Amino acid sequence: MAESARVGTGARPSGGFVLGPLRTLKNEFTDKERRLAYILVTPALVIILAIALFPLLYAIWLSFQEIIINQSSSFVGLQNYAEMLQDPEFHSALRNTTVFTVLSVSLELVVGMAVALALSRVFKGRGIARATALAPWAFPPAIAAVMWRLMFQDQVGGGIVAYLIKSSGIYTHPILGNDAALIGAAVLVDVWKTTPFMALLLLAGLQVIPQDVYEASKVDGASSWQQFWKVTLPLVKPAMLVALLFRTLDAWRVYDLLWVMGNRQLNSLSVYVYNGVKISQLNFSLGNAAAVFVFLSSIAIAFVFIKVLGTRAVE
Amino acid sequence: MTKNASRTGNAMDRRDFLRLTGAGVAGAALLPACGGFSGESEGSGSGKLIISHGPDTVLAELIPKQLEDFNKQHKGEIEAIFRPMGEDYFDQLRTQFQAGGGDIDVISGDVIWPAQFGANGWIDDLSDKFTEEMQAGFLEGPLGANSYQGAVYGVPWFTDAGMLYYRADLLEKSGFSQPPKTYDELFSMAKKIQADEGLRNGHVYQGSNYEGGVVNGLEYIWAHGGEVLDLSDPTKVIIDSPEAAAGLATQRATVEEGISPEAIVTFTEAESDAAFTNGDAVFMRNWPYVFGIVLAGDVKIKMNQMGVAPLPAGEGGSQGFSTLGGWNLFINSASDKKDEAWELIKFLSSPEAVKFRAIEGSYLSPLKETYDDKEVTSKVPVYPVAAQITDQIKPRPVSEFYGDMTLEMAEEFNNSLKGETSPEDAVATLQESMQSIIDKGTS
Repeated sequence: MAESARVGTGARPSGGFVLGPLRTLKNEFTDKERRLAYILVTPALVIILAIALFPLLYAIWLSFQEIIINQSSSFVGLQNYAEMLQDPEFHSALRNTTVFTVLSVSLELVVGMAVALALSRVFKGRGIARATALAPWAFPPAIAAVMWRLMFQDQVGGGIVAYLIKSSGIYTHPILGNDAALIGAAVLVDVWKTTPFMALLLLAGLQVIPQDVYEASKVDGASSWQQFWKVTLPLVKPAMLVALLFRTLDAWRVYDLLWVMGNRQLNSLSVYVYNGVKISQLNFSLGNAAAVFVFLSSIAIAFVFIKVLGTRAVE
Repeated sequence: MTKNASRTGNAMDRRDFLRLTGAGVAGAALLPACGGFSGESEGSGSGKLIISHGPDTVLAELIPKQLEDFNKQHKGEIEAIFRPMGEDYFDQLRTQFQAGGGDIDVISGDVIWPAQFGANGWIDDLSDKFTEEMQAGFLEGPLGANSYQGAVYGVPWFTDAGMLYYRADLLEKSGFSQPPKTYDELFSMAKKIQADEGLRNGHVYQGSNYEGGVVNGLEYIWAHGGEVLDLSDPTKVIIDSPEAAAGLATQRATVEEGISPEAIVTFTEAESDAAFTNGDAVFMRNWPYVFGIVLAGDVKIKMNQMGVAPLPAGEGGSQGFSTLGGWNLFINSASDKKDEAWELIKFLSSPEAVKFRAIEGSYLSPLKETYDDKEVTSKVPVYPVAAQITDQIKPRPVSEFYGDMTLEMAEEFNNSLKGETSPEDAVATLQESMQSIIDKGTS
């Protein structure tokens, strides 16, 4: 907020930071120009609050109510959360989502980094290679899931992936009939689908590393391995943080991929929310509490990422 | 997909429930803006009677034809128009109900909806109009599905039932003169024919975790003499019985003894009919729509290779049961043209209208007399078989909380079929979770 006000008033020394917070606040409003700036941004702020904050607060407020269709609702405090935390369906949703997120994001990071490194090199047909690599990402998740589900099933026509896995002896039962195998399959599909996105973000990070850093390290006698660990990785960290954050939050609220791949059988946090809010007649409150949980846990995840990988990196 | 599969297989999509929430209100507020539900555009304002039906390509052609006749008969008085709805039919209806009723007058709805709609006061009790004299002409199953707590909420206009398809040619070749009457017979026949012919599957059905899986699980439970809700007190769950467990055990045995593929736990209607019509299975449990596929002639199996029989009985059960499917006509409580709506319902459920749909679309009649109609039985191959099973058709548990109960059943039936839960544990879990749904809903 202070940022925008300052931009509005042109170049003023940002002396406010030196003074106590109260003085700063007072300054903000006694200054005529600043006051005008605030008045001018107020409509925009109100709209933002109404659009972004109201539904959120409303959802949180709803999560403290016991709501059953055509019956009066009543305030029950944290009871919905307590009930949700005891629900075995919620446990399986949380477990599946965690496994899916950890596996898919780590695989995507490793593979994505390899792809990004390959694509950042200068070679003939690099443009085409970059465009092709992005192709899987262009598929809508539900379409990708339907497509892969066909390849994973072993009945109608016999899916190619199911055939390969079966004949290699890795797993001889129907993949689609087992939850653990299904999650494994979903992770593979997600890696196939979103690695290009990861690679793209990392590639952007690689591109901004100046060449002279590499030249300098070469002069100092660094091997390519050392170059990767000591130069590339620290410098690509900001981009990596953004990519990881995006992907983790994306994976954390995964819905369409699991819903379609598992033909509605595979539980995830978002599927749990949907089942409660939309399908069940009685579990609206639980679903709503779970929705708030997804939101709060996403914030927590983002917070941890920024803390662990460094605040500076985001800026 | 074929018409029948979409009628029954996707029932799940439409059964979900929205509550009086921001989502519902926001949805309702947005709908008029989308143009689809503006009450003024074609409904009450213009005085037209609106009838809606879910996604069904065949009926989408037949309904307008029938409405044309109806409108001719009532020229100058009533003009009925058809509004086809999409896969989210149920969601749309619910949103309209919560926004005050919407503009549809006659609602065509799935057999599992009446209790839920009726209990919420969204559709009218038709007891005054739909007299007992009229009801006498209908099959008991479809009628029962429309009755809830002493009221009757809908008039059946076509019905659906599970049947046992079999390879008549292979049965004969292996020395069997008749289709199986019990699951024991089915198992031994399937095993022998599988061995004789080197067939991949003995028996296929719908075992996935969805509404079709519930339907199949219930049929196994009923065939062994089990029951889900106490028929005299539908707030009492009685699924935890040795009979119900025996039913699920027989179903699990189809996988254990190798007559059904392991992947049966992911099978829906489409996978089953693909396996059967491709000649990969001896037996199949499915809806009547498979007749349409075989009659169309694009598949390996021809009509003369195929037979259809009632579903077999289990050990301890007197007979097999077929789950009732099908659609019914309701009157929207918010309609301002209830008399006209009733005229249309009477017209669409009349013997002539039913016969027209039977001949043109192979739809099963909810009226007893159609099954004796020589013209229908000779022209529509599914009718002679259907006539044999009309007294074996059972509705799914009739409860306003069916929507929540079916999710639990889908999950547990599937777990039992996968072998992850024993049949005894599955019915015990269901006893508890379904009872708590009813208790929560009625508290």
